[in-house]
Amino acid sequence: MSSADAVVLSGVEHSYGDVTAVGPISLSVPSGEFLVLVGASGCGKSTLLRLIAGFEQPTAGTVLAAGVPPVPGRGAGLVFQQPRLFPWRTVGGNIAMALRYAGQTPTTARIEALLERVGLQDVAKRRTWQISGGQQQRVAIARALAVDNPLLLLDEPFAALDALTRERLQEDLRRVSAETGRTCVFVTHSVDEAVFLGSRVVVLTPRPGRIALDLPIDLPRTGIDPEELRGRPAFAAARTQVGAAVRHPGVFA
Amino acid sequence: MAVAPSATLASPRRKRRILLRLVALVVLYGLWEIAARTTRNPTFIPSPGAVWHQLIVTSTVHGGIRGYSGHLLIEHLGVSLRRILIGSAIGVAGGLVLGLIMGTVTWFRVVTEPVVTFVRALPPLAYFSLFIIWFGIDETPKLWLLSIAALPPVAVATAAAVLGAPTGLVEAARALGAGKWQAVRDVVLPHALPEIFTGVRIAVGVAYSSVVAAETINGVPGIGGMVRDAQRYSQTDVVVLGLFAIGLSGLLIDALLQIAEKRLIPWRGRA
Ligand SMILES: Nc1ncnc2c1ncn2[C@@H]1O[C@H](COP(=O)(O)OP(=O)(O)OP(=O)(O)O)[C@@H](O)[C@H]1O
Ligand SMILES: [Mg+2]
Repeated sequence: MSSADAVVLSGVEHSYGDVTAVGPISLSVPSGEFLVLVGASGCGKSTLLRLIAGFEQPTAGTVLAAGVPPVPGRGAGLVFQQPRLFPWRTVGGNIAMALRYAGQTPTTARIEALLERVGLQDVAKRRTWQISGGQQQRVAIARALAVDNPLLLLDEPFAALDALTRERLQEDLRRVSAETGRTCVFVTHSVDEAVFLGSRVVVLTPRPGRIALDLPIDLPRTGIDPEELRGRPAFAAARTQVGAAVRHPGVFA
Repeated sequence: MAVAPSATLASPRRKRRILLRLVALVVLYGLWEIAARTTRNPTFIPSPGAVWHQLIVTSTVHGGIRGYSGHLLIEHLGVSLRRILIGSAIGVAGGLVLGLIMGTVTWFRVVTEPVVTFVRALPPLAYFSLFIIWFGIDETPKLWLLSIAALPPVAVATAAAVLGAPTGLVEAARALGAGKWQAVRDVVLPHALPEIFTGVRIAVGVAYSSVVAAETINGVPGIGGMVRDAQRYSQTDVVVLGLFAIGLSGLLIDALLQIAEKRLIPWRGRA
């Protein structure tokens, strides 16, 4: 464990009643790393993310974020698997809340810019139920990105989006994380997405989720065109390896 | 713009509903007229015409006499409405605070829940006697009665709504950095508002139905006092007029509350 580790899990287990959802898992995420968690439905990915966010306490082991037990809302932005927008606020009002909690002044220009970043225009004044599911999810992403937290936790944020928007946001997130050096923990079902985004991909076994594969992705993080990246032999190799681990998860860790 | 399609869709249905209500009113009026004519006993069933006549009599100064018992109908109604307004306002405010604490502090809920349920089960007239003994026969016991009657519905609704706060949205606020109190203010409370508002409508209704009871003692001016005096002198037409005044103004106030609700809580049913 080094002091530069953004997240450290040591022997972490979590059970809901007598159902063990994850663990034991030991894992260190160095600062600036883009870690992608992949695994079958119900293997405990969301649970793991909630443990790192501080919304769940491990039933065994310890979780540290920036060296201390995590507290929700301190130092980590979180995109839940569901949009979780506040229906009593407009779309813009939802973003304004994030800025206000961080002690910042929400200006119209700022809100518009944040929405623009996830490809949304002219929705700030709408009610949250007057936009589509995919648009709601993008608002949730914009809301989590509104404040520059050193750690970003994302639970299948692009699952509900059309292919075109998804690719755009993937590229955007990849670039932004590399440029800002933020640490990301990203959950997905998609092998392609995992290899494209991650500087490291961890595949989990079916419930209880344990580490089945821990693979560093050796591809350039900046200054490369997405098409070219996907064309690299290393990309294809990593995809094959992660794909195989997802289909035949064995416990190696 | 966004609501246009549903509005055009609803309008023929709305027209039919209004028509249906008008027909029902005419039929009721007809039945009333027939009943009054066949019984031929205005003390038992006064005719619609007699009630209409009383409306004019009680609303004007005639031969030096002002309305009924020295007050115009509108003055009786105004005094009662003022009592209802003050009583409901105090009851709603108290119920809101009580319900919020009940919903957030477990031991407080355990202690107060049976008390609130107990008071809610009592007919207001039952504790009115107590208030008369404590506060005399003027304005104070009446306002106490209405406040106490209006409080439980709001308290119960608020407590239930706060208890049912959506974990997911509270977590979302916490994840954005909201403190516990901020989460209550920004999530729990707005989420509870629709239910609280239903509680308020019930509370105002209870205050309405209690005002006549509150005005049985020293109730003039006041619609309840007017009805009671009229009953004493067998002026059934005035009694019926009083009932209409209370009922119709009640309908109006509930309609106003519903409009306010639509405006203030557009997210009703969305959370
Ligand atoms: N609150 C809860 N109470 C009881 N069991 C739960 C709870 N939340 C999750 N579980 C169980 O824990 C396991 C892991 O759930 P989790 O949501 O972490 O899975 P996941 O990997 O995120 O799945 P998905 O890919 O479908 O989102 C599942 O078997 C689930 O049934
Ligand atoms: Mg999940």
